[in-house]
Amino acid sequence: MKARALVRLWSIFGEPLWIVVSMGFPVLSSLAFFLLYYSMGAVSYVGFAVLGGVMVSFWGNVLWSMASQFNWDKQEGLFEIYLTSPASISAILIGMSVGGIIGTLPSAAIVTAFGWTLISVLQLPVPVVGSWLAVALTFALTLASLYAMGMTLSSLYLVYGREAESMNNVLQEPVSLLSGMYFPSVGTFSPFPSAVQIVASLIPLTIGMNALRLALFSTPGADTLALVFPSLAILAAMAVVFMAVSAYSLKALEYKGRKDGTISVRIR
Amino acid sequence: MPSVEASGLRREFKAKDAPVVALDGVTLKVGQGEVFGVLGPNGAGKTTMIRILSTLLLPTGGWAKVMGHDVEHEPEKVRKVINMASGAEKAGYDFISAKRNLWFFSQLYGIPSEKAEKKIAELSETLGLTKYLDRKFYALSTGYRQRATIARAFVNDPRVVFLDEPTIGLDVMTARSIREFLQGEARRNGRTIILASHNMAEVDAICDRVAIIDKGRILAEGTPEELKRSLGVPALVMEVSPPREGFETLSRIAGVKGFTSSTEEERGLCTVQVVVENDAAARAAEDAIRSEGLKVVASWRKQATLEEVFVALVGQGFKEREEEGAG
Repeated sequence: MKARALVRLWSIFGEPLWIVVSMGFPVLSSLAFFLLYYSMGAVSYVGFAVLGGVMVSFWGNVLWSMASQFNWDKQEGLFEIYLTSPASISAILIGMSVGGIIGTLPSAAIVTAFGWTLISVLQLPVPVVGSWLAVALTFALTLASLYAMGMTLSSLYLVYGREAESMNNVLQEPVSLLSGMYFPSVGTFSPFPSAVQIVASLIPLTIGMNALRLALFSTPGADTLALVFPSLAILAAMAVVFMAVSAYSLKALEYKGRKDGTISVRIR
Repeated sequence: MPSVEASGLRREFKAKDAPVVALDGVTLKVGQGEVFGVLGPNGAGKTTMIRILSTLLLPTGGWAKVMGHDVEHEPEKVRKVINMASGAEKAGYDFISAKRNLWFFSQLYGIPSEKAEKKIAELSETLGLTKYLDRKFYALSTGYRQRATIARAFVNDPRVVFLDEPTIGLDVMTARSIREFLQGEARRNGRTIILASHNMAEVDAICDRVAIIDKGRILAEGTPEELKRSLGVPALVMEVSPPREGFETLSRIAGVKGFTSSTEEERGLCTVQVVVENDAAARAAEDAIRSEGLKVVASWRKQATLEEVFVALVGQGFKEREEEGAG
């Protein structure tokens, strides 16, 4: 697990272009929403834009570096090295997640610093955080459930060949929209009808984003921990369920791959 | 206890019209410290066999054991004692160094870091990789990448190593140093190496025993010398002019086991190699060519190689077999 986490980190920081892309793009999209809210006079919402920029970095990492990874490994003959070793595939995925989270933190920090600087320069109201414990717990559980979902996707993508990349493209924007990366997508302020909100609630990112907004931007004096507690419980449950589904589907797909002869698909 | 044992091993793949039989009742035993070659043309079933023995594929019939563990029912136990490498694999993450790649793969076997680093240094020294260990994987040439792949396959001190065309596409010197390394690992450390290849010279040079495989069946098995001796007399080689395709008349001659032919456009002739049972068959083959109005520019007898053994068993060479399969 530790070794796979290190490989992820070495890979992220060994590829200069990737550093620019993974750190630069979230800043730009965050800036776009920031300026939109600012020009509309909705200055209390600019924090949503910064939070969205932070979380979109992790979502991108889950999609492109978690969900697709085994598929790429399969195409290049690396997945069969994993399979013929005694290592647990789930442990490899957990290692990949830990490496991905640590590797994405600098990008999240840059978005936060950028947003903070803009808020200070424009002299906008600074959010008062009621409970940093609530924020930390919500952030940790959001990432846990999000990366557990990435583990599930990673195992399911083994069924696909190169279509996995298209699946990522199909998922990327709709999930960003439904999960309310830059605006509340569930609850009173959601622009979506209730049916869409129900679907959106099945995505851990939606629950996590909503809870993070509550934790970060709630009314001063409110019991933030109590406010986010239901979300924390749902996120924890989602993390456990996704990890169990991932472990089960990996086993099932390994057996299917051995039976049907679909484990090895190489591009070379 | 044999290191690798299989009996009646069979593998079918689903296909549109009818199932394709990739492996058809393979039975073999390979002892500890042996370099065992599986020789056959593309599509003969070599890779399927390797994939079943290395737990990547389930057999549809028969059974196989590696170090006494059943590959179908005890894959976890098999995986602890094996490793594998293929000439077609990429075998490393591009943006990290060869050394870090090797260290990472050693961790899949739970090897303590210090021990792993010592092993990597040792393997790299033997394979001539030391100078390139700190280079990122993408920056390595094909030859050094392949050396790293081979090092990876030995990083966990496996009892059995499966290699699928490990020297494919490599220059002569790199291929030779890899072959020497493989022989050394088998002799010095008692590792069993199963080498699937369609490179006859390679198999002849390093394998203690060879199984010749075609259409999923083992046609012959023995030491390279035994197999070559089984042919009896040397093969007949003729340079024939003008060049042309098709020498089917040769196969109708009594005592002719098979033949191959290749055209050399530049020299304006055709080289025909005929595997014969006796000298009389060789003379009859030469006469048959002349009787078709062709000129035999030169002819000689050639010491048998594994290629002739294959031709004698199948009636065709690897090239013709692969063309037939593709057609």
